[in-house]
Amino acid sequence: MRTLIRFVDKLLAGTLILAMLGILLAVVWQVISRYLLKDPASVTEELSRFILIWVGILGAAYAYRQKSHLGFNLLVQKLSPKSQQIMLTIVELLVILFSTFVLMLGGKELVVITLELDQISASLGVKMGLIYTVLPITGVLFVLYSIINIYNLWIADSKESL
Amino acid sequence: SDHLVLRLGHTLDTQHSVHKAMERLGDRLDYYSRGQMKLEIFPGSQLGTEREMVELLQIGSLDMTKVSASPLEGFAPAMKIFSIPYVFRDNTHFWKVLNSDIGTELLTGIEAFRLKGLGYYDAGSRSFYTNEKPIHTPKDLVGLKIRVLNSPTAVQTVRAMGAAATPVSWGELYTALQQGVVDGAENNPPSYFLSKHYEIARYYSLDEHTSVPDILLCSLRTWNQLTEQQQDWLAKAMSDSVIYQRELWQQSTKESLQKVIDDGVEVIYPDKQAFVDAVTPFHESLADTPAGKLMRKIKAM
Amino acid sequence: MEMTAIVLIVGFFVFLLMNVPVSISIGLATMIVIVMNIDLIPAVTTVAQRMAGGINSFALLAIPFFVLSGLIMGRGGIAKRLIECAMALIGALPGGLALVNVVSCMLFGAISGSAVAATSAIGSFMLPEMKKAGYDPNFSAALTAAASTTGMLIPPSNILIVYAIASGGVSIAALFMAGYLPGLMVGLALMLVCFIVAKINNYPLSARLPLAIVFKKVLAAIPSLFLIVLVIGGIVGGIFTATEAGAIAVVYALILSVGFYGEVKLKQLPEIFLKSAETTSIVMLLIAASTAMSWVLSIESIPQTMSQFMLGLSDNPIVILLLINLFLIVVGAFLDMTPAVLIFTPIFLPVAEQLGMSPLQFGIMIVLNLSIGLCSPPVGAVLFITCAIAKTKLEAIIRPLIPLYVAMFVVLMLVTYVPWISEAIPAWLGF
Ligand code: NA
Ligand code: NA
Repeated sequence: MRTLIRFVDKLLAGTLILAMLGILLAVVWQVISRYLLKDPASVTEELSRFILIWVGILGAAYAYRQKSHLGFNLLVQKLSPKSQQIMLTIVELLVILFSTFVLMLGGKELVVITLELDQISASLGVKMGLIYTVLPITGVLFVLYSIINIYNLWIADSKESL
Repeated sequence: SDHLVLRLGHTLDTQHSVHKAMERLGDRLDYYSRGQMKLEIFPGSQLGTEREMVELLQIGSLDMTKVSASPLEGFAPAMKIFSIPYVFRDNTHFWKVLNSDIGTELLTGIEAFRLKGLGYYDAGSRSFYTNEKPIHTPKDLVGLKIRVLNSPTAVQTVRAMGAAATPVSWGELYTALQQGVVDGAENNPPSYFLSKHYEIARYYSLDEHTSVPDILLCSLRTWNQLTEQQQDWLAKAMSDSVIYQRELWQQSTKESLQKVIDDGVEVIYPDKQAFVDAVTPFHESLADTPAGKLMRKIKAM
Repeated sequence: MEMTAIVLIVGFFVFLLMNVPVSISIGLATMIVIVMNIDLIPAVTTVAQRMAGGINSFALLAIPFFVLSGLIMGRGGIAKRLIECAMALIGALPGGLALVNVVSCMLFGAISGSAVAATSAIGSFMLPEMKKAGYDPNFSAALTAAASTTGMLIPPSNILIVYAIASGGVSIAALFMAGYLPGLMVGLALMLVCFIVAKINNYPLSARLPLAIVFKKVLAAIPSLFLIVLVIGGIVGGIFTATEAGAIAVVYALILSVGFYGEVKLKQLPEIFLKSAETTSIVMLLIAASTAMSWVLSIESIPQTMSQFMLGLSDNPIVILLLINLFLIVVGAFLDMTPAVLIFTPIFLPVAEQLGMSPLQFGIMIVLNLSIGLCSPPVGAVLFITCAIAKTKLEAIIRPLIPLYVAMFVVLMLVTYVPWISEAIPAWLGF
């Protein structure tokens, strides 16, 4: 289990690093090609936007794992340790609710509709449905990390944290 | 409630003739249905971009939207016919085709994509405007960076005429023209005027290479939920709105051209034949494709 | 309609107070109200689609690029040399580093036309430096957020272009000219606050350096300063757009830090890329969720209903303009700038024109007003960025924001009631 989670973390981080590199190269090439080639690259604008969607959504799961999303914890800090534990669990359940309905269910439906109707992006000719797969994938990761957070909340020894 | 409200989103501002025609559509719908059907309009991209609103129609959370036929190419390939230059001889020919079986078939063709095409609005003809030097012949376009719509056919069209097609998003275009990231763009007179691009691109060359109509779409999910009576009211209101918009468009084109001329823009009427000749190889390269076959049918009309 | 508004606002605050991440709070509240109005599947699909649509924008690419170049500059010795140079020049003034921050934000916001780009770029290297120099990180974060909004008024500015189109008749060139003076006024007002805050908190004063050392520091900073020349020159000279400038900044920063100074090792780059992806995604998820929320607000016509109610309250022009401003400040707290401009220009511009205000002046007023909103919680891209960079909490920077709001509000009132401020320069140039 621990190895599997470690693998998912590594895979996620690796994807994000490559995606950032991809955006950078695409836009730099967009500028260079305008001057070097008679015919400037016409796909880079779309390519960089699509990778940005991936970085933005998928990265949010990584940021959630790192606990770096912005929140408002002034009130929760005033609660007793036991109530805090319960409150934080409820928060994780709400995150699971959102991820399940919007990212997984809504995202999956969006992928299905755009794939079924064979919607093609304007300059890359990529299926829009493939771009949108980032939504359900991120949904699964959010649920996974939420479950890990709940597990970590309720086990006594921090050494066993996942 | 006692009446049905249809929600219509679009990307234009409220000055645009298409917005005014949609208001007329709402009035006529109210009139024909005796207040049982109403239209609520959301202008200015409040609900999303054109492509995104088409998706919302397919999803079923928005009832209607207006879309240019050009980005519709991504959904319905037959629509690419409008992005090919000089398919239509003139405005009369253009409307003859749209009002014929070809126009109807193009609209019914998109029903496979969960969309119901209600009708065409006039969006005139697109012509080049440039910031450094005027365009008199296709030769003047060689080496210029021209902003194009994000559509493969639009890119091929501009390339066929000798320019370097450069996709720039609509929001960045004013600054891109001003700073010389692109040397020019192309659009119809009202858009050239309303977008204020005439302030920096001072040469407008009316070569009228493409005529891309606007299409009013209804979600097929919404359409199928309407009774036959309600569908009939909507269709009648739409045809009133289309007639009204074509009048407004003519007027708006004339006024826009007059206003840019008054502002000192150099409007050029080039010899169109030279441009038609320049795209002949492009037309020939399409010969064996479905678009090429459709093009031959249209040219024969 | 009212029910939807209440559920949305109450839902959002309940989730927020429970310590649900801000972006998820927005998303959850939005999801609940959409489900109230349409069937479950289309409802959740719409939220998902609006979220993806909200970040499907080329202009937003400025965020990862400037975050990345900022990180590289911070670690690669570029920021260090820039700041030593600025400190040598104006560090001896009270609040010198804060003044440097405001000026850099104005410069950067001016050229990039994006508050988000300015916050990412300046924040990424100024915030750690200000912390090292003993400034309160919360104040520094608040200042960077507020100062970055000056770029909305100082041309070029994408939001002024959006306004010109929404207003249906104002010249963009005239608007650009109109923005200079109010933009500079906001910058100066913020610098005045820095001066006072620095005096009160006794922030460390650097000793005035001998001229030879000042000269040496300036010389050492020239390769770093060339980054600004490259970015400004490239944009003004039409070599690349403001967004592309971000990517060029990354490349130049890499060449300088890795190749020239050697202060960043190649094997450190993956970690730097990952860090910038993380910061970027925090902001992106917020923008995505806010876009979905804006969609519900629009389709339920909540803004229109609220504004009609407002205009029924008085018939005194001064009072109505004040009410419009207060209303827009509240709107700006929740709604992003672009949808707010697009929704409220057609509603309030006719009212303002009836009261004798020119569309030019109204444009500057609405953009300055929404600039305040841009750095007001709970929703504001620049706030999220500075908080993420400064590793501080949204609630912690509210107090240091208050004097900055006061300064911006004073300028807003001047812009609202003194047409000359917006109209003098365009009139002088013949618009
Ligand atoms: Na600016
Ligand atoms: Na705000």
